[in-house]
Amino acid sequence: MIGTKDQEELFRLIADYLDRDLVCVAIGGTAMMFSGYKNATKDIDLVFASEGERKAFVRAIEQLGYRQRGLMDVYTQERRKKEGKPQLYARGEERFDLFVRSVFGFPIATKEIVERRDFLGKKELLIRILPKEDLILLKAVTGREKDFEDIEALTGSGKDVDWERVVEQAIRGKKGNEWILLDLEQTMQRLRKKAFIPQKYFDRLYEAQE
Amino acid sequence: MDNIMTLKPGKYTLETFAKHRGLKRQSALNLLSKLKKQGLLQVAGGGRQKRIYTISDTPGEPTNGFYDIVNKYSPEKLIPKFRHHVVGRYTIEHAIVDGIQIGDIRTLEATMHLFRHISSWKRLFYLARKRGVEKELHALYTAARKRVKCKAVPRRYQP
Repeated sequence: MIGTKDQEELFRLIADYLDRDLVCVAIGGTAMMFSGYKNATKDIDLVFASEGERKAFVRAIEQLGYRQRGLMDVYTQERRKKEGKPQLYARGEERFDLFVRSVFGFPIATKEIVERRDFLGKKELLIRILPKEDLILLKAVTGREKDFEDIEALTGSGKDVDWERVVEQAIRGKKGNEWILLDLEQTMQRLRKKAFIPQKYFDRLYEAQE
Repeated sequence: MDNIMTLKPGKYTLETFAKHRGLKRQSALNLLSKLKKQGLLQVAGGGRQKRIYTISDTPGEPTNGFYDIVNKYSPEKLIPKFRHHVVGRYTIEHAIVDGIQIGDIRTLEATMHLFRHISSWKRLFYLARKRGVEKELHALYTAARKRVKCKAVPRRYQP
């Protein structure tokens, strides 16, 4: 597990070990910690725009002792077969899940951000943070243990969530990941017991599935 | 802790907060102080101005990035499009380059005023070259020179 302060210090350290400036998008627990929804996370999920940028990041974390590990115990077999799976690098309890362009086939849009964190060391590491609607959707896609708890934390009572955006983003991502609508529908059904989600959004998902 | 969890986010004065929570003035102040320590409260005003307490449901540290610099130095204030936090040394020169990259007209207008406060032309042009906005920087500087009283760019950096 890594806490908010540790995470910030780690990124600052990585910025000193980078050999070029990098921009990436934080998703999952990392983004939630930056936005104040959570105090600690198991893994740091980052999405890069190109393979070259991911390699540059990997070069830096390898110098800090992180080593590549398999996806086996972390992601289900179904997800391991999908496109856009991550590379995992771990050091003790801390782990980086590094994606390029998409998360299991769901493309990451980097223009609409709610927050930016700059780590200025020898080089610059700029981390963009997506709106919470996108984080909910991505959590539904990754479907790891504990992801549902995170979705509950992001959703709250459900009133502050733009469900229109969540559903529309999922429909748009259908091409790259055919399971996305099913994953989201399952998550929304579970959430419905605690949060208010209008029926029309379920109907929209069912229509898109046909 | 239970009390804190059931707080309604929004803006309060000390009196409205005490009334809302059914507390005495001092108890309300104590609770506000606790919230501030947890990062759930921001205070505006003080001194001759009445204090306004803004309570949020997620802890947020104060920002220290582009919008804070622009709103400090520019008479044209901006509403942040995103929260910007920086770890490390973020300078006026970084802010000018960021302003150019954000790129909308209001941001550019506000960014022009930062040319008055440049401390290192070398850093400014280094950052602009690195991010591929050198042309835009020259254009913005030329526009700023006509509208704002700002320092002349050293000859070696002139286009």
